[in-house]
Amino acid sequence: MDHIDILITLAKIVAAFAFLILGAAMTVLLERRVSAFIQNRIGPNRVGPGGLIQPFADVAKLVMKEDIVPRSANRFIHDMAPMISIGVALSTFAIVPFGNGIDIFGRHVKLMIADVNIGMLYLLALTSVGVYGITLAGWSSNNKYSLLGGLRSSAQLISYELSMGLSLIGVLMIAGTLRLDEIVLRQTQYIGGILPKWNIFLQPLGFITFVIASFAETNRLPFDLPEAEPELVGGYHTEYSGMKFGLFFLAEYANMITSSAIITTLFLGGWDVPYIEGLGLAPLTLALVQVGGFLVKVALVVLFYIIVRWTIPRFRYDQLMNLGWKVMLPLAIANALGTGLVLLLIA
Amino acid sequence: MNTYLTDILQSGALMITTITGIVLLLVEANRRGRPATSFALAIVGLLAAGMTALIQMPAHGTGFSGMVQTGGFASFFAALFAVAGAMTIALSRSYLARIGWFRGEYAILTVFAVVGMMLIAASNDLIILFLGVELMSVCLYVLAGLARVRDRSNEAALKYFLLGAFATGFLLYGIALIYGAVGSTNFEAISAAFPAISAHIMFLAGAGLVVVGLSFKVSAVPFHMWAPDVYEGAPTTVSALMSTAAKAAAFSGFLVLFVRTFHFVGAGLNTVLAVIAAASMILGNVVAIAQTNIKRMLAYSSIAHAGYMLAGVAAANAIGLMGVAFYLVAYAFMNIGAFAVVSMVEDDHEQHLTLDDYAGLSKQRPLVAALMAVFMFALAGVPPFAGFFGKYYVFLAAVEGKMTWLAIVGVLTSLISAYYYLRIVVLMYFRDGAADVAAKPSVLTMVTVVLAALLVLQLGITPSVVVQAAQRFF
Amino acid sequence: MMLAAAAAFAVIMAKINEIVGPRRETDEKVTTYESGMEPVRTARERFSVKYYMVAVLFILFDIEIVFLYPWAVSFRQLGLHGFVVMFVFMFVLLVGFVYVWRKGALEWD
Repeated sequence: MDHIDILITLAKIVAAFAFLILGAAMTVLLERRVSAFIQNRIGPNRVGPGGLIQPFADVAKLVMKEDIVPRSANRFIHDMAPMISIGVALSTFAIVPFGNGIDIFGRHVKLMIADVNIGMLYLLALTSVGVYGITLAGWSSNNKYSLLGGLRSSAQLISYELSMGLSLIGVLMIAGTLRLDEIVLRQTQYIGGILPKWNIFLQPLGFITFVIASFAETNRLPFDLPEAEPELVGGYHTEYSGMKFGLFFLAEYANMITSSAIITTLFLGGWDVPYIEGLGLAPLTLALVQVGGFLVKVALVVLFYIIVRWTIPRFRYDQLMNLGWKVMLPLAIANALGTGLVLLLIA
Repeated sequence: MNTYLTDILQSGALMITTITGIVLLLVEANRRGRPATSFALAIVGLLAAGMTALIQMPAHGTGFSGMVQTGGFASFFAALFAVAGAMTIALSRSYLARIGWFRGEYAILTVFAVVGMMLIAASNDLIILFLGVELMSVCLYVLAGLARVRDRSNEAALKYFLLGAFATGFLLYGIALIYGAVGSTNFEAISAAFPAISAHIMFLAGAGLVVVGLSFKVSAVPFHMWAPDVYEGAPTTVSALMSTAAKAAAFSGFLVLFVRTFHFVGAGLNTVLAVIAAASMILGNVVAIAQTNIKRMLAYSSIAHAGYMLAGVAAANAIGLMGVAFYLVAYAFMNIGAFAVVSMVEDDHEQHLTLDDYAGLSKQRPLVAALMAVFMFALAGVPPFAGFFGKYYVFLAAVEGKMTWLAIVGVLTSLISAYYYLRIVVLMYFRDGAADVAAKPSVLTMVTVVLAALLVLQLGITPSVVVQAAQRFF
Repeated sequence: MMLAAAAAFAVIMAKINEIVGPRRETDEKVTTYESGMEPVRTARERFSVKYYMVAVLFILFDIEIVFLYPWAVSFRQLGLHGFVVMFVFMFVLLVGFVYVWRKGALEWD
């Protein structure tokens, strides 16, 4: 690895960071606008054109706020928790390939930050670490609402992590690799010449379980019991203020984007834009179109997240756990075994 | 595919026990399943496994890519574990019903503990050895805490678990060091590395840590502290299983590892084992005198017996190994019998466990008293019973292994032990007491105990049956 | 590198807040929030055993998943033999799952 490689990596990191943070800001705005639209009101539209600057104003406000740590809290862990949350949310994105490799300055550059050969395991490992942020936040605040929120959330997160991990087994069996870029490459062909060979078509059950599990993992409605405002005040972040609260908030939206990106990569063909080969584009243009395709897909999944939030009411806790353990887990296992059987029959 | 099939058939006892455990889980998951069904199934399954093991004993080999041994040594011990497990389940039937903890899980846990024991004896790889130790221990932790509303049962489970987990850490670290020194976890590969490896400091450290881990499981001094509290707190029949089958399993680990794999090498290791053995014999027997609770007394006696058996391992010659194998079989039956009698005398609320409660037992329950006398004589090592030959072989081995001092310690401490074993006999026959024994023991319990007593007698009269079987393995 | 950058970002954001934000602690402000009431005892108390159950079950299944991943990746090479072996493993695990389910460890009420 020489200087240019390091520079390229740095450039990619900056790009990904900008994408994630700007994306999160835009998602916040989008969510507020969409929810306002659904509830037949206007939503933020004063700060900047169409309210575009609103999220940045919010961040500026949060930074200027006082950072209150309750007297009875464990200060060190209280400080650590939001950092863990945001750190995990940001670093998960490192393995997402947002485009096919491009040849630039005479070298081949893969459009992903870290080319980890065990990408999927890295993904699972980081989601596990993410549980710590919320659990520790709940515990360290020494507040009953926080503790309950933190506990609920850790139970929920680990329950759904199982179905999430298991629903990926089918994808892995088809792809035969743990590298995310190769998983995308496998999806660039066609079934019978027409339908793109995306995993959503090969693994419909896996797709559904994975999407549901992702909703639970990102604490989004209908799975947002950890923060359930009416019953738990704010859940695990009741005692957080200022930018530490902001970090949790940012982490939630960054997670949403990352998981949308993962869904896109694993099931929706990643950067693959079908039927584009026939156009005969120049390589660089092609790569840019593909990155654009990837972004559009991610945006659509994010929009899907937001619409679901305003469509489905919140679960009760026992329903949540029942769904996770008694429906999702058996389904995911059945999916894995079924995929194996089908693959064997084909072979 | 086919190779696996032969592997499965060859380690039949292990497979039958495992399948029994899985079936029991399903029976228990069925809400209409009653504990009695589970108990009956477990006994049938374990006896079938024991029979299979006996049938497969002559054939000796390895299976599952050299991970386990089949036949021979493994079968010998598998049969012992299966029979001991079946006996404790049979004994527990009425005892647990009496104290209100008659649960199907008891049978399941016992069966899986037996699977773990069989894995230890069958291990041909350090990983399998560790797996077996863990499977056995985890089941026993839960069994010790079975009566979970009892304070003492809780205490026993927690103490056993915490100390056991600590000991497991030693074992695992020892395994890691041995692996580091040899570069393989397979016993044959380790075996082939001798004698080049025998002075390797990493190997010696690893072997030392493994000694610590296994010594804990056999409750040898100085790793014995848990035994009295756990045996006292756990339900009595569970103590019976822990002090016999579990101990035998840990000893089979000692035999497999130190004798078969390490080739008797490392005179240093043998001395360490001999010192542990002597300390166990002395401490176990001396402290047992001071006990007033019979379960604690049996616990210290079990520490002492671990010492006798370790003497056989330390002697590191053919007689010693054969002696240990024989001793384990004999000890299993006498101690299960002794604990069974304790469980019969004990009432439903952890009372009637002191030695004084045995005063005048011969008047109230002549048969029970007679059986207890048999077990006590056997434990003391009085000639017509099995205990005598066990000690005889082990001490003979110590003398032949140029460890005469160890044999002398053994004989002297045996004399001490006679005091507290025979005190119970004296209490039962020559004292009057208001001993009111709880309920009348059930037929199943009585049959099992009588069987144990007959086996103890039989083994004492014709030890050659077991001895000849054991001689073939080494 | 992404990890380092993410960690740096997190620390910087939190520290900026400490520097830029005001700091006027009052007694009321640093008390634990309990809907305006005086806090009653501490939150560090015993909580439902159910959470421990979930954690224990999670460990079991998570390890299973870790076993499954390499198997799934090399599924095509392993063929029928691999499938049967893993099926036996899954079966044993599922028996445990059925047991846990029927025993009511998954019930929340």
